[in-house]
Formats: sequence, structure tokens, C-alpha cells
Amino acid sequence: VGVSLLPLLAVAVPAVAAPLVYLARSRPNLREGVTLAAAVATLGVVWLAVRAPGTPVTPLGTVAGVSFALRADAAGLLFALLAATLWVVTSVYSVGYLRTVGEGHQTRYFAAFAASIAATMGVAFATNLFTLFVFYELLTLATYPLVVHAGTAEAYRAGRTYVAYTLGGGVAVLAGAVLVAVLAGETTFSPGGLAALSAADPTLARVAFALLIVGFGVKTAIMPLHGWLPAAMVAPTPVSGLLHAVAVVKSGVFALARTVLYTFGPETTWALDLGLPLAVAAAATMLGAGLVGLRQDNIKRGLAYSTIGQLSYIALGLAIATPLAVFGALLHVVAHAFMKITLFFAAGVIYAETGEKYVSDVAGVGRRLPATMVAFGVAAAGLVGFPLVAGFVSKFHLVLGAAERPALLFVAVYLVAGLLKLLYFWPIVYVALFGDRGDDSPASRHAFAPPHATDGGYPGETTWERPALGREASPFLLLPVLATVGGAVLLGVVPTALPFWALAEAVVAEVFA
Amino acid sequence: MSLLLPLLVTVPLLGALAPFVAGTRRSRAGRAATVAVLLAHLGLALAAAVLVARTGPLTYVVGGLPAAVGIGLLLDRVSALFVVLVAVTAAGLYLAVREDRTGPGDALWLLLLAGLTGVVVTADAFNLYVFLEISGLAAYALVAGRAGVDRALAALRYLLVGTVGATLYLLGVGYAYVATGTLAMADLGPALAAVGHDSTLVVAAYVLIALGLAVKLALFPLHGWKPPAYATAPRDVAALLATLGSTVAGYALVRLTFGVFGVEFLRGVPGVRLGLVAAGTAGVVAGGYLTLRRAELRRLLSYSSILQFGLFTLALGVATPLAVTGAILLLVANAVAKGGLFVAAGHAERAVGRSVGDLAGFGREAPILAAGVAVAFASLVGLPPTVGFAAKWYVAVAAVAAGSWGVAVVVLVSTLVSLAYAGRVVERLYLAAPEGRPGDRGLATDGGGDVAGPSRRRVAAVVGVVAAALVVLGLGSTAVAEWVAPVVEGWA
Repeated sequence: VGVSLLPLLAVAVPAVAAPLVYLARSRPNLREGVTLAAAVATLGVVWLAVRAPGTPVTPLGTVAGVSFALRADAAGLLFALLAATLWVVTSVYSVGYLRTVGEGHQTRYFAAFAASIAATMGVAFATNLFTLFVFYELLTLATYPLVVHAGTAEAYRAGRTYVAYTLGGGVAVLAGAVLVAVLAGETTFSPGGLAALSAADPTLARVAFALLIVGFGVKTAIMPLHGWLPAAMVAPTPVSGLLHAVAVVKSGVFALARTVLYTFGPETTWALDLGLPLAVAAAATMLGAGLVGLRQDNIKRGLAYSTIGQLSYIALGLAIATPLAVFGALLHVVAHAFMKITLFFAAGVIYAETGEKYVSDVAGVGRRLPATMVAFGVAAAGLVGFPLVAGFVSKFHLVLGAAERPALLFVAVYLVAGLLKLLYFWPIVYVALFGDRGDDSPASRHAFAPPHATDGGYPGETTWERPALGREASPFLLLPVLATVGGAVLLGVVPTALPFWALAEAVVAEVFA
Repeated sequence: MSLLLPLLVTVPLLGALAPFVAGTRRSRAGRAATVAVLLAHLGLALAAAVLVARTGPLTYVVGGLPAAVGIGLLLDRVSALFVVLVAVTAAGLYLAVREDRTGPGDALWLLLLAGLTGVVVTADAFNLYVFLEISGLAAYALVAGRAGVDRALAALRYLLVGTVGATLYLLGVGYAYVATGTLAMADLGPALAAVGHDSTLVVAAYVLIALGLAVKLALFPLHGWKPPAYATAPRDVAALLATLGSTVAGYALVRLTFGVFGVEFLRGVPGVRLGLVAAGTAGVVAGGYLTLRRAELRRLLSYSSILQFGLFTLALGVATPLAVTGAILLLVANAVAKGGLFVAAGHAERAVGRSVGDLAGFGREAPILAAGVAVAFASLVGLPPTVGFAAKWYVAVAAVAAGSWGVAVVVLVSTLVSLAYAGRVVERLYLAAPEGRPGDRGLATDGGGDVAGPSRRRVAAVVGVVAAALVVLGLGSTAVAEWVAPVVEGWA
């Protein structure tokens, strides 16, 4: 345990970047330079923390009588490294997207984005439930301006839904944290759980667990607490990509992991009969989201339901709480991030380049955006669970882990959910690659979704132009897509290539010691 | 014996004459005299606080008479906190946003300061009544201002209700005197215990005292005077009263409940605790509901105070040291936030209008002001890392630890209610575009005269300081808790 400034720096660098972005508001290139520099610096800091021997800790005194500290343990580093890596990519993409689409309020966008990352780093490195709660709430506040970015009535409605769900969940978290503080005398995360909780009054411990799960379940989008996520898709696509597919929902599932693995501990969780209800809720969400997702013609809305399902893959792994399942869940945090952000980036490229948002409107778009749609297809295959993409490795462990519990049902749920994913992604990829615009044959329509209300035909030509190689979109848009899909494939082919594998192993080792 | 204590009261009390005399001829001289008195009082308050930190509680008995009949003064760590709050607020608001700088107006400002300081430092239950009345009379006159039927009516209502409250308090003190034969707080505690906590006389004394102070706190359903008074009072007066008026009464309730009647009394008479919890819950529920429906910003803020003082009363009902610490933090958090918000509301009134709807897009026009307002609302809601959050955390942990589940639930759910009204204002401020209003914002709609006031820069500075204070107090809440701990734990 070494006192170090690294965990604090990981929070401070993006936090300081936010006002700097605001100060540079009159010079867009400088402003984006600040964002990129901060993103790279944050990644550097997290990387140093990964490399640092021992566990870097920054104590920050006590607040309201509870110790407030940031601690870069293996689990925190896994999440922080993921968010920091993808922030770099998303920053580049944001520049391309906002400029291509011509979004307004770009200063507010970049400042709020940096603030959101700062809060995410705080969630990752929080050393106890109290600190975690503080950053968890700050994350909600920092992301709110991004959700309502468009400034339309729909965006405000979505923003209100978002805040009502997440801050409502925050109250449940607060109540749970207070209960844990009183029951255990502390809320510090300790691998394998707090011993005092296993000895506490079981009814109260169950109530505390339920409150925490409900609270964190909101951001994890466990059904029926998921309503905010599809609504929040009105945000600009990079926001949907990094924040709603990665930082925000992953903060929820990460906090869930902190609850199950580091507060209650796998043993106490199952000893109190809490693992099964959580597992059932997650399993039901996987199937429910899979079914609802089938009928979404809006690309981003469909991806939102896919996220809801995938997050419950992770939640189910945590609920099963065997070493293999937890290992798979942690790997899936990373794998899903790389694949889902690729999908959102691709959806964003489609929107930026063609202005289309619906599957049935982009028949044959593969001709116009070949590299993008190939990346989309690869990432989709990964989410379904095809080998050689990251999703296979994590799901493999999840399924093996599920088999360790007597209820084999969950193995079946994983497999059925994978099938639903296949049914969900197949029409999109098929229509995009083999469909034809202006043709009403089944090959050009979404196979399951009802047609959306159209404005009557397409503007301009009915055929897609094939661009010169590498010229299908701005490099700011294209390179991030290729980078993230490359990451997903790298993690599928050589899972140990990045530190995520080792970090996940370290988590499992310390939790199940 | 420390001479600082009588000076804390007498300097503003006698100093109130200065602007009255000096200001009749030359208003500038009156203003200078007022500033001098305010700064002297602030210096005394800080010096006294430092002395308390170094040497422990300060006491003083005027004229050396025995405590039972004399005027005793006491400054311990809890009262020092409130004396500093009172001094800083009175001086800060005067320097930054005071608009009416006539001699009589300034004299009332100082008189109010003297009364509030007296309530905080007195060690005698009867003198507390005297100081309560001094501050009350000054407040009624300040609310009435110099013009306006609305103000006169609001002030009259404030006067009537406030006087009833003070009279109830006096009745309670009378009962306590009949029961014990003393009025000095230090002697009252043991004497009341000797009479027996469940004796009718003692219980009646507490109930009357608490009811009287509840009027001053504007606890539901005794809150009717507050929204009109705060909504129609001159802007600077509203800010001062919103910060200190009920806060000091809250301090008095803490002092009398725990420093005089004591935790044993609350334990011995469960009905009283139940009453506190019930009144607090009613305050939270009613305050929350009424706040949601306000269109006018100042009224909304007044109703929010009703919710906040409901929370405060709930915390008293839990009655553990942790809960009392939370209650004190709630008082401070609400005071600081309301001060900043009333200053901001006053400025917005001059710039765009009185209602929440008028704020549309104001955030873009005044970014620093709006950011400060957002932080102040975050503290009222109880979002981290503000002091409002720390206060709620203490109260919630205390409630759960004491097994008061209902209190814990109300405290936590109040967050959501507060969120609903705070969110409405902040959303307006930042995101809504101005609707159908003429482009020029500088114009006042109700004719000249009222337009002059502190500059936006100055107002933004006040609100910015308030926001910073809320965050610093939040991050430093442990230090505040440790500061009051010796006293609060002594009460247990």
C-alpha cells in the first residue's frame, strides 16, 4: 500500500480539463487540443498506476466522518484503464462527429464530457461505498447536459427521465450505504467482503443489499429500471457510445461488482440467499431486452436494448459469483465496451454521412461505407459470441462459470440470449450489406421491426455511391471505428495482450483468496 | 469571565444609534458608522471564537450578580459557530448588497444583529426572550421597509404571528420558572430533572417553548408568515432574514432542548420525541408539496425553508449526538445556501423578473451566478460534495443507528422532493430559451427607482463565495462535526 498521487491525478486531469476547455471556447482547435491532451494524459496516469508496484492510494481526509480516499486496486484499474483508453478514441471521434454533423454548444459538450470522465475515474478508484456514491452522483450531474444536448423537447424529456431514474437510484444507494455503514461500522471495500456484514442481522443485511442493487441496478439498466437508457439515446452518438454504452452503465455494473465482491462478498451474498434473486433479474433482463431489441428499427435504440442485455450478462456473472463467472464478467466489461463502442461509432458514421437513423433506411449502405459496415459486422459477431472476437472469450468464461452452480438454467439463458443477439444483429448487417435502397423487397426491410413513420422517400439519389478506398468518412470518424474494432479483435485473438486479462485475474485471486 | 461576550451584544446594540444620529445629516457618515460597527462586531466574533478554541467556553455575568437573577452570557463551541455565522452574514450582506442605506434602516440592521447575537450568546432563558423580541421587532420593521401596501401587510402578519410565538415562548419560560425558581440555563437543567421530567409543569413548559420557537422557525403548520414576508421584503432584508432569522431560532431550540431540558427529558417523555418527529415529517411533506407548486422564486425558496426546517426538527427527534451534529449542519447548510439564493433571486428580479419562468436562459447571460445557484440548490437537495449532503448523511446514519427507520426514510425521500423543485429552477436557468421576451434585458418593467442595486459582478461574487463555502463546508464537514463534538457529546 503506497501513498501516491496517481489515483488523484487520474481524477484531477480530466476535472481540470473541463474548465480549460471552457476557457479555450473561442478557439475550437485549441479547445479540442485540450481535450485530446487531457485524454492522453489521463491514459498515461492510469497506465503508470497499472505499472506501479503495490496499490497506489491517495488519502483525502474524511468527509462527514467517513474516510474519503482514492485507491487504484486491480478492479479499479481495470475499469479506469478501459474508460481512459476509450476516452482517447472517443475524443478523436467526437471532433469528427460534431464537426461533420455541425452540432451546437460544442464547448459545453467537451467540458461536460471531461467532467464525466473525471467522475468515472472517481467511481473506479473510490475506496469505499461513501466515496463511490459521491462520484456516482457527480457522474449523473456531469452527463445530464450531454443527454439534453440537442435542446429539443424530446431531449429535455429524456433528460428528466434520466435524472429521475439515476438520482432516484442514488437515493437507494445512499440508503444502502447508510445501512452498511451502521451494520458493519465501515463501508471500505475489502476483497471477499466485509466480515462484519456476514455477522450482521441477516434481514437488515438483505435490505441493504437490495437497496444497493436497486440503486446501482438503475445505471446497470436491469429491467425494470432500464427506461432511461433508450430515452437517453437522443444524445449525440459519441455520448451514447462512450457514456451510455461504457462509462455510465459500466459505473453501474462496476458498483454492482464492488457490492457483491468487495462489500458483501460472494460467500455472504449466497449465504443470505441474495445471489439467486439478482441472477434471476439479470437473466430475465437478458431475455427481455433481447426480445424487445428485435423490434427496434431505430439503430441507436436497438443498440440501447443490446446494451441492456449485455450489461445483464455481466450482472448475471457477478450474481453467480463463482471464480470463473466473475472472471468472465470482468472480461466482458472490457469486451462489451470495445464492441459496443464500435457499433455506436458506426451508427454515428452512418448518421453523420447519410443522415439516416433507421435500419430500413440504410439498405445497402455497405456500398457507401464499406469499412464502417465491416467493422459493424465484426463487432456484432463479437457480441453474438463468435470466436476470434473479444466477446467469445468473455462469454466462454461466463458460461463455464454458470455451469459451476447447480442451476444449469443460467447456462441455457446465456445461450438463448446469444441466439437472440444473433437474430437482432442479423437483419441489420444483412440489410446494410445486401439490401438495396429504393427497393421494397424483404431484403431491404428490417425483418422483425414494424416500419417507422417515414417522411416519404429519400432525399436525392436512391443508390449509394461507392467512395474511394479510405475516403468514406472523415478520418476523425473512420480511424476510431477501426481502432476499437481492432481492439475487439486483438482481445479475441490474444486475450492476454492488454493488461485487462492480468487485472481480471488479480481481482479473482484477491476476492476468492 | 470574558469581556468579549457583553461587547458582542452591546457593540451592535449601542452602535445602532450611530447611523441614526450620524445618518440624519449625511448618509455617507451613517454608512461609514454602520460599516465600522459591523466590522468591529465581526472582529469580536472571530476573536471570541479563537478564544473558545484555545481556552474553552467563555462565560460572563453582567454586573457580577448571581446567575439566577443576573444576565448570564455563554459562548461555547456551538454558539461560537453561530455567532461567526451571524457576524459574517450581517457584515457581508451589508457590504455587498445593501440597497437602503438610510440612517434608520441601518440602525434596524444593527438592532437585528444585536438581537440575533444575543439569542446565541445568552445563558438565560428569559433573556433569550428579550433578545428574540429585539430581533423580531427589528425584523418586522425591516420587512415593512419604507413603502408598499404588500410589504406593510406582510410585515403586520409577521408581527402578529411572531409576537404570538414569542408570547408562547415566554409562557413556557414562565412555567419553567414556576417549576424550578430559576431561569439560568445551567441551573434549569438539574432543577427540571429534580422536579421530574414527566411532571405536567415541565412538559407544558417544553411544549410551549418549542411551539413558540416553531413559529419563529416557520415549522408547518405555523409557517404562514414566512413566504409573504420573505417574498415582499426589500431584497437585501430578505437575504439577511432568510439566512439568519429562523436559523438562530433553530439554534435556540437545539440549545434549550439538549442544553437545558436534556436528552434524559426526551427519553423520559416519549411523546415529546414523537411530537418532534411528527412535526418534522409534516414539515418535510407539506414543505415539499408546497414548494413544487410555486411560480415565484422567492416564495419557492421560502417554502423550501419549511422543508429544510422539517428535516432539522426530525433530526432533533432522533436525539443522538450524531443526529444533533447533523441538525446543526442542516442549519448552517440551509442558512448559507438560502443567503446566496436570495441574493441571486433579488438580482434576477431586477434583471429579468420575479418568477421561475423568467429565468429562462438567464444562465447563459450570467454564467457564474447561475453556476453558484446550481451549487446552492445541489446543497439544498443534498447532493455530494456539498454540506447539505454531509448534513443529510449524518442525520440518516444517526437515524438508522438509533433504529428510527421512519426518519431515515423521510430524510432520504426528501432528497427526491427537493430535486423536483431544484431541478425545475436549474433547468430553466440553463436550458430553456427565453420565451417571447423583448431582447433588452436591462429594462425594469415596473418603472424606475427600483432598478438601482448591486452590480451583477458583485452579486456573482457573493453567490460564488456561497457556492465555494458550501463545497468547502461539505468537504470539511468532519472538521465542523469535530468542532462541535465536545459540546454535543456533553449533552448526551
